[in-house]
Amino acid sequence: MTNPPDERGAELQELFFETSQELLQALNEESLKLEKNPGDEEIVRSIRRTVHTLKGDSAACGLRELSELAHQFEDALSLDSAASHAALAEIAFAAADVFGGMIAAYHGGGAMPATEALRQRINELTSAPAAKKLGRKKKSAEAVSQSGKDWTETEKRALAEAQAAGLAIYDIAVKIDPHCTMPIAARQLIQNAISRIGNVLVARPDAKSPAASKQVEFVVASSQTEEQIAAKSRIPTITGEVSITLIAAASPSKSSAITAPAAVPQSPASAPEASAAPASPAPAPVEPARVEAQAAAPESAPQAMMENILRVEAGRIDNVLNLVGELIIGKSMFQQALNEFGKRYPKELLRGKFADVMAFQARVLNDLQRSVMKIRMVPVDQLFRRFPRIVRDVARQCGREVDLELSGQETDLDKGILDAIAEPLTHLVRNAVSHGIESPEERRRLGKSPRGHIRLNAFHQGNQVVVEVSDDGRGIDAQKIRAKALEMRMVSVEETARLSESETLELIFRPGFSTAEEVTEVSGRGVGMDVVQSVLHRLKATIHIETRPGQGTTFRMKLPLTLAIIKALMFWVERRLYAIPLNAVSQIARTTESEVHQVDNYEVLQLRNQVLPLLRLGRRSAIEGDGKSTKLFVLVITVGERKYGLIVDALEGEEELVIKALDDQTFSTDLVNGASILGDGKVVLILNLPAVVEHVALSRPEQSGLTNCGILLNHADRARLALGAAGGQA
Amino acid sequence: MEQFAPVKRSKDGQPIRYLIVDDSVFARKNLARMIESFGGQVAAEAGDGLTAISEFDRTHPDIVLMDITMPQMEGIEAAEKIVQAHPEARVVMVSSVGYQENIVAALQRGARHFVQKPVKPEVLYEVIKYVLGEDGVVATAAGAGV
Repeated sequence: MTNPPDERGAELQELFFETSQELLQALNEESLKLEKNPGDEEIVRSIRRTVHTLKGDSAACGLRELSELAHQFEDALSLDSAASHAALAEIAFAAADVFGGMIAAYHGGGAMPATEALRQRINELTSAPAAKKLGRKKKSAEAVSQSGKDWTETEKRALAEAQAAGLAIYDIAVKIDPHCTMPIAARQLIQNAISRIGNVLVARPDAKSPAASKQVEFVVASSQTEEQIAAKSRIPTITGEVSITLIAAASPSKSSAITAPAAVPQSPASAPEASAAPASPAPAPVEPARVEAQAAAPESAPQAMMENILRVEAGRIDNVLNLVGELIIGKSMFQQALNEFGKRYPKELLRGKFADVMAFQARVLNDLQRSVMKIRMVPVDQLFRRFPRIVRDVARQCGREVDLELSGQETDLDKGILDAIAEPLTHLVRNAVSHGIESPEERRRLGKSPRGHIRLNAFHQGNQVVVEVSDDGRGIDAQKIRAKALEMRMVSVEETARLSESETLELIFRPGFSTAEEVTEVSGRGVGMDVVQSVLHRLKATIHIETRPGQGTTFRMKLPLTLAIIKALMFWVERRLYAIPLNAVSQIARTTESEVHQVDNYEVLQLRNQVLPLLRLGRRSAIEGDGKSTKLFVLVITVGERKYGLIVDALEGEEELVIKALDDQTFSTDLVNGASILGDGKVVLILNLPAVVEHVALSRPEQSGLTNCGILLNHADRARLALGAAGGQA
Repeated sequence: MEQFAPVKRSKDGQPIRYLIVDDSVFARKNLARMIESFGGQVAAEAGDGLTAISEFDRTHPDIVLMDITMPQMEGIEAAEKIVQAHPEARVVMVSSVGYQENIVAALQRGARHFVQKPVKPEVLYEVIKYVLGEDGVVATAAGAGV
């Protein structure tokens, strides 16, 4: 009966799986703190609190193995010897891992992790010197009750006074429910209840006495009737039998009774077993209880923030977002219809009214969209807070000493993006520890502090979020990378000569790139930076490396705020409509074909004082007929830290586009990362700029035929987009 | 599927209103479900003692279910503060066996009752009826068998 029935149980378990992740996170964080401040009682207490909650929650879910193990750990933590145990942090880490494994097993139905090792380590804690469990002897306490009717002088006086005041004197004996696991608390509760009946003249046995856990007895002076008293001294789940004895009736008639308090009729107000039904199957006897002084943890502010938080399945929000997207399409359809209407009936007064309504609706829609987007936003802290543990573990594995600094944790980011960058970010951080930071000896030799420093930072920048990983390690040697790339035949000799410093660094994102020294236990392992790159591409994000030999490296990721809707600039190329994120566009310029120059087979354009490499989406041949005077639009776009010129035929305008994901079957290219439908039903393809740029950079002029890496959109739009490398057809 | 005969306030027949205080969201949810099965209403929730006090002042619940170990301010202190300010407040401590002495302390400071974690609905139900005393009535709908 303790296990909630199926449906409710399943729901509860789901909730447990969610909340337990937070507990594990907390446990990890606390363990890290403990490792830094060994023996800090405050931290041990907060660890115990966390384990305690985990125990309680898992027990309520019927996850017995977990709750038992947590229980064992909690108990061990309550011992003084444990708090000062040197390996406690280590054990806490192990516990967090095992707990996590168990939860995962409950959740996913996999195999339970082995718990034996952990149990043993927990036992180490308890069996450490001075393992002092005050042996609480249980004693049959039955005898105590009726025995002492020998009043002390003060008691006699009190009795007399009470009686004189017109109160009856009762002896109330209350048995504590044998199933009650907290007899001391029960006793206190009974005493509270009794004291509401009247003046407690005598209470016995003494609270400290072991017998107090069976039965308590009070002598009370009260004006209430026996029934009233009987009702009040019965407490469900706490009391067993209650017997009330009138010692001396309320009588102003002298103090005669006092001398003979013993022999009085017994009226067993025999408590009907008030506690009856619940009768818990008497679990553990008496546990060593320790008073826990108030542990006002100062870092618990976020916990307070959690108060009004609603947990919603992400899918539901996506659904709402989708509908909002449809609404936005609806809005532009309406706008279009209104424009037509205006053209047809330019004099119609109703037009103004329509326009007003439109404007109002658009505003509300805007707010709605923004609100829904906000729901999806979560602070990057959710991701960042995993890293202290990761950094610690990796640092240990490779014998580094590393401090991790987190900043900008409150920066909000779309949950989907946050989840997606978890892996790349982990990779970058691991790399920073294992490759970036030098060994303590080496650092000392270099005159640096032996402890390396890694910083994770996040902040907003315009319509983007920047996430940085910086270290103060050895930096990346561009020469080495160049040599390696040559050796692996990823670039040609001429090419390396031409590559700028940052372009060289970007070689490490190419698939398969790995410098020999780089393959270690920790990172390397084949999955490399190209994974980072490919995830970021998918997200329309960019990454940039900044490095200074001997001083450190910074990886800077620029991420879009959200995946679902972008402000886009739309333009035409070969009578086809495309869009790119507006925030990538820094300038729009007009020029003519004659301004386009060739440098090393690449097309470039001089715009004021900068030389822009040009990207052409269309076939050069298509416009060749028009000759040198053809007017061109050039969109100056920024990808990573570099600028390019994108040549387009005509501009269409700005619009908020709701991105519809395209599945792999419809599309076989990464040059486009989505499509959107406009108000008039037109389909617009959204270009994946990093991929387009990379495509151009990769395709060397001598390789022809690249022009036709066509993008096929199925039924809606079956024309082909010919993506030509710059100058490819020249 | 435990269903209990709903307990109402005797003065106006309204549902009993509860303040649930626990730093575990899970525990709060769990208690809330039980309370609803008693025909009660969650007036507010709090994850620490400080919030509990302000939520009590705001909502004046009939019953407070109070965890003991919490960040910011522990349950005992919160219970004490609440009872000091509102002697009529009914605070029920919710905690595990290991915290018995804390419960004793809370009871000495004005808490009305305690239940042990993991909380069993039938136990909580009895405790609540007891704590309400004459201020609560069991609605005598169909199941008069109480």
